[in-house]
Amino acid sequence: MRIDSRKVVDRATTGLGLLSIVLVAGALIVLLAPIVYRGLGAFVFRATVEHRRAHFDHFRQGNRAALEAELAAVAAARQPVYDALAAQAAAVRALPRRERRAAQEHLEEVRNLVRALLGPLPGDPEPALIRDRYGARRWDRAAVALHNLLYVTEYDYSDPTRLGRKQYVPRVAQWRGTALEPLFAHCAAHAEDMLRPRWTFYWRFLTDDSRDAHMIGGIWAELLGTFYLTVGAILFAVPMGVLSAIYLVEYARDNWAVRALRSCISTLAGVPSIVFGLFGLAFFINTLRVSPSKSVLAGSLTLAALILPLVIRAAEEAIRAVPQTYKEAALSVGASRWRTILTVILPAALPGILTGVVISMGRAAGETAPIIFTAAVSVGPPLAVWQTLSSPTPALPWNIYNLATEHAAADEIRHVQYGMVLTLVVLVLVLNGAAIILRARIARRLTG
Amino acid sequence: MRWNRTVTCGLLLILVVVGSATGQEKADKARIEIDGSTTVGPIAKAFAQEYMSRHPGVNITVSESGSGNGAKSLINGTCAIAAMSRFMKDAEFKAAVEKGVFPVAHPVALDGLAIVVHPSNPIAGITIDQVRDIYAGRITNWRELGGPDARIVKVSRDTNSGTYESFDHFVMNGQKIAADAEYVGSNGAIKQRVQSTPAAIGFIGLGFLGRGVKALPVNGVQPTNATVQSGLYPIARPLYFFTNGYPTMGTHLYHFCTLHLTPKGQEIIEAIGFVPLTHYPSPGGGGDRDTEDEPAPARPATPPATDRPKE
Amino acid sequence: MSDAPPTLAPGGERWLAPPRPLLLSDRTRRVQRLLGALGQGALLVVTSSSALAVLFIFYFIARDAVPFFQLRGFREFFTGAAWYPAANPPQFGAYPIFIGSLLVTLGAAAPAVPLGVAAAVCLSDILPFAVRQYVKPVIEVLAAIPSVAYGFFALVVLAPLLQSEQGRVLLAAGWWCVAGPAAALLVVLLGDLAAERPMRVLAMLGTLLGGLAALAVLATWLAGVGTLLVILTWCGGLPLVGWATVRVGAHASGPAVPERWRGLVRLAGLVLLGGAAAVLVWGVGGRLASLSIDTGTNALNVALILGVMALPTVISVSEDALQAVGRELREGAYALGATRSEMLIGVVIPAAGSGIGAAVILGLMRAVGETMVVWMASGNAPQVPQPWYNLLAPVRTLTATIAGEMGEADHVTGSERYHVLFAMALVLLTISFACNLLSEWIVRAPARRRRGR
Repeated sequence: MRIDSRKVVDRATTGLGLLSIVLVAGALIVLLAPIVYRGLGAFVFRATVEHRRAHFDHFRQGNRAALEAELAAVAAARQPVYDALAAQAAAVRALPRRERRAAQEHLEEVRNLVRALLGPLPGDPEPALIRDRYGARRWDRAAVALHNLLYVTEYDYSDPTRLGRKQYVPRVAQWRGTALEPLFAHCAAHAEDMLRPRWTFYWRFLTDDSRDAHMIGGIWAELLGTFYLTVGAILFAVPMGVLSAIYLVEYARDNWAVRALRSCISTLAGVPSIVFGLFGLAFFINTLRVSPSKSVLAGSLTLAALILPLVIRAAEEAIRAVPQTYKEAALSVGASRWRTILTVILPAALPGILTGVVISMGRAAGETAPIIFTAAVSVGPPLAVWQTLSSPTPALPWNIYNLATEHAAADEIRHVQYGMVLTLVVLVLVLNGAAIILRARIARRLTG
Repeated sequence: MRWNRTVTCGLLLILVVVGSATGQEKADKARIEIDGSTTVGPIAKAFAQEYMSRHPGVNITVSESGSGNGAKSLINGTCAIAAMSRFMKDAEFKAAVEKGVFPVAHPVALDGLAIVVHPSNPIAGITIDQVRDIYAGRITNWRELGGPDARIVKVSRDTNSGTYESFDHFVMNGQKIAADAEYVGSNGAIKQRVQSTPAAIGFIGLGFLGRGVKALPVNGVQPTNATVQSGLYPIARPLYFFTNGYPTMGTHLYHFCTLHLTPKGQEIIEAIGFVPLTHYPSPGGGGDRDTEDEPAPARPATPPATDRPKE
Repeated sequence: MSDAPPTLAPGGERWLAPPRPLLLSDRTRRVQRLLGALGQGALLVVTSSSALAVLFIFYFIARDAVPFFQLRGFREFFTGAAWYPAANPPQFGAYPIFIGSLLVTLGAAAPAVPLGVAAAVCLSDILPFAVRQYVKPVIEVLAAIPSVAYGFFALVVLAPLLQSEQGRVLLAAGWWCVAGPAAALLVVLLGDLAAERPMRVLAMLGTLLGGLAALAVLATWLAGVGTLLVILTWCGGLPLVGWATVRVGAHASGPAVPERWRGLVRLAGLVLLGGAAAVLVWGVGGRLASLSIDTGTNALNVALILGVMALPTVISVSEDALQAVGRELREGAYALGATRSEMLIGVVIPAAGSGIGAAVILGLMRAVGETMVVWMASGNAPQVPQPWYNLLAPVRTLTATIAGEMGEADHVTGSERYHVLFAMALVLLTISFACNLLSEWIVRAPARRRRGR
């Protein structure tokens, strides 16, 4: 080949290599961007007066006097709406009996839409579900509720051989000439006065537990559950893992038995996580009966089995990285083998082991399949420490799946789902970041 | 070394403090574990919320992994209440009795299985035979039903599910669902699939209907409270809580299992969207009765709640 | 000098007397040795239990899987196409589920392997050290993201996107991004080769097209027998055809073109090849842009996400393998006058071949064993897509079946339904064991070769 073509091929190969790096980075950005953007929306958003009211009622957050003043002002702004509805109700009562039923249903439709926006109307009995006791709590949901109030979503089915086209017809057209007509214009113009949205940094999203299946509140129960599961997994896996690593590095001879042991441990690393879940259910819960039902204990044991190979591998590397001179110096002053390991090698390897432990924590925190049948529930209170031995708990990975698929009002709580995903991703990344920093510090220390 | 030890002790201390502080409830007065159907899930969760707010100290957890899993947990003794959207099967009863568990059914609500499509789908109604043909793979395109030219995306529940069993019993009549039907794990998942896929069809419980999906009238009957209660709607079923024997009177389990018999319980069921067992009159207008003749008193917006939790 | 002995500070006796006797009695020595042996034994027990855990898992799974095969035999499970575990009578044909797992893994390999190896090569040889320090964390972040976050993204973001109008456009754009540069590079290469020895290029093209035609014929003939064989034919055949083309290109020669005609021949070659490549790329792109994707939870969705999940493993293990090749080989190639790309493609990658193979296997193992992503986003339809490469159809994998059906199955209420899930878990375990062994064997192959075994 000519030299020019070879140069072209060379440049092209370089270009392809760089393109692949760019694509990998691009994949990461594409993956994280919606999660970060919409996850932040769970923390930073425009909260309405309904949000403040809900949080005062259930979490005792906020100033009572300020809230009452706000509610009084808001009531003044909402009064025309209630008056219009009351006037229309009176008009409906005045109708002859035959037409009353249909008119009541038509009016009830609008009343429900106003309830979705502003909360229970005056004269309403207290709703049974907590979510119905408050109007739209976030301004973005309020905008949706307002849109549903002002426009009827109609589908144009005129051509049955095509999918219907969505069109928004102003609802006020249905109520022209009635007492309800001014309601729509008023709502459109005064929505902000009726709801008073304010930019809020809801950091308590992490520390509030949830009410009414995540319709109100935060993710404390899930966060705590993940914390318990991770710490439990570490408690079971680290002692076993470090002891195994010590044996493999210090005591094991290089014969076929030890090679088989190593092979087994590396195979354990490759077992699919759902098999761990099956094993955990069949062994820890149904056979060993470590707890009468699903529990954090059983989940921790299953997760410990999952991260054991990681801990062993990291501990082995850390112990091997300790310079031989340390060991030789200790042995030469007469320390026994075990004493050397305990007082010289382990402390020197501790930062490396800690790095591995932190990375394993990140892995354990993010695993779902092992905890589906051993520890995770959809809804539950935050547990106290002694309850972890026998009680299951909500956990971040499982509840992300649960809220994204099983929840009845998944659209209403999109921000909670994204917030959970963001929290989990940040948690895992912080753990990994800490491990990386630790590793850099060790490298600096060991190389002088 | 001293620094490491301090850090470790500090972490352990934080763990214990955090753990004990969040469990503000004095002792575990009772633990109720509910496992089972995703259809009954919203009811169980709302009941749990209501009960826990009235009795702090009771620890109620809700799992939604399918009616079959609920039955299995009850039989194995790992849950106190199995929420199921179908009755227990013969084999399950036999297995339960063999293990010394005597399942007692508490019907908490009624449900209709709504056949849902995307709102942009112009189809106005459907018959059970057509649904069966669709899921069995005999009808594959909406145009065969007079609709647009789009391949039907059929979404079904996993075989764990009581909803699936009800669908199988009422609609499929034992015929097999075609191999290209998609399977998802819960009512909510079907709703989301149908909501986002214009050519999709699925079946969900009444409590999951909402703005994003259109419930088709089946054999000319629209699924509503009235049609389900009267039996007009062809695909209707009760929703159950199963317990091991009848709960001992006075225990928290007993009060929880009879919550659906109180007006509050029925209010909750209706608010979620299911059909209350009794001919429950919903207050505040709407429903079968006329509104009261006296005008509603003018009241300001609901003030903040008092400091004590409501009894 | 005074006669008085040196006086000690108060408490100084402590430093004179040794803390422990320097000479141990026999008894003490025996006790110490016994304790040491006991301690070592205890450590061995702990290590063995860590290792035996995997054998224990295998035993537990196998114990509950064997009754299924005793009750229903092997044939239906591995070759039957009807999966109706809840029907009466139940049918346990898991063949479509195996095909689903295979399709999803192959689909994940398609982006992961080229992208991963290219990125690893770039990381180890092309990027300057400073930039490398910034890129490595990107890879580690990709590796650290939990699988449920990937599943959430697949279900909530990617599935609606694929179903929408933008989905097809994105697919077509992706194809253009990848195929465009690759095709341009190939055209330039081949055009240049054609300029000197057109016969060689013709022979290569002939081998390629002939091989593809033969594969197509074979696949059509096997289609009646089973989709698995078709897939295996293509998977095994394509690399074979590629290798044959390259070998032909290396060895065929034919007459050389005289100097003065070279420019013209090169131009002609470029035009012809460029035209053919353009038609091919345009055709596929147009086809992609006009596809109708009626469901976004399909094999393509899962394949893309699993490919991204497998990337970090492939990249990091390949990079280790590339680093392990060492400077001598690289510098030797440079000394012989190779350009950097020739050094990489001709010397380093083949030398690191076993490591890269192991990396690919490990990455694909992660794809096979992934549960949440496939349960949420693959559609879970137990069917073999028609045709087999139609990744736009929903499929079901082994892991999703286990996760989805585990609840209903109980060994007292439906023993076959319970045991079949363990049978699937056993198959999964066996596959992961085999892949593990294979990757370890591959990595040690050059060492064995060097030792002369």
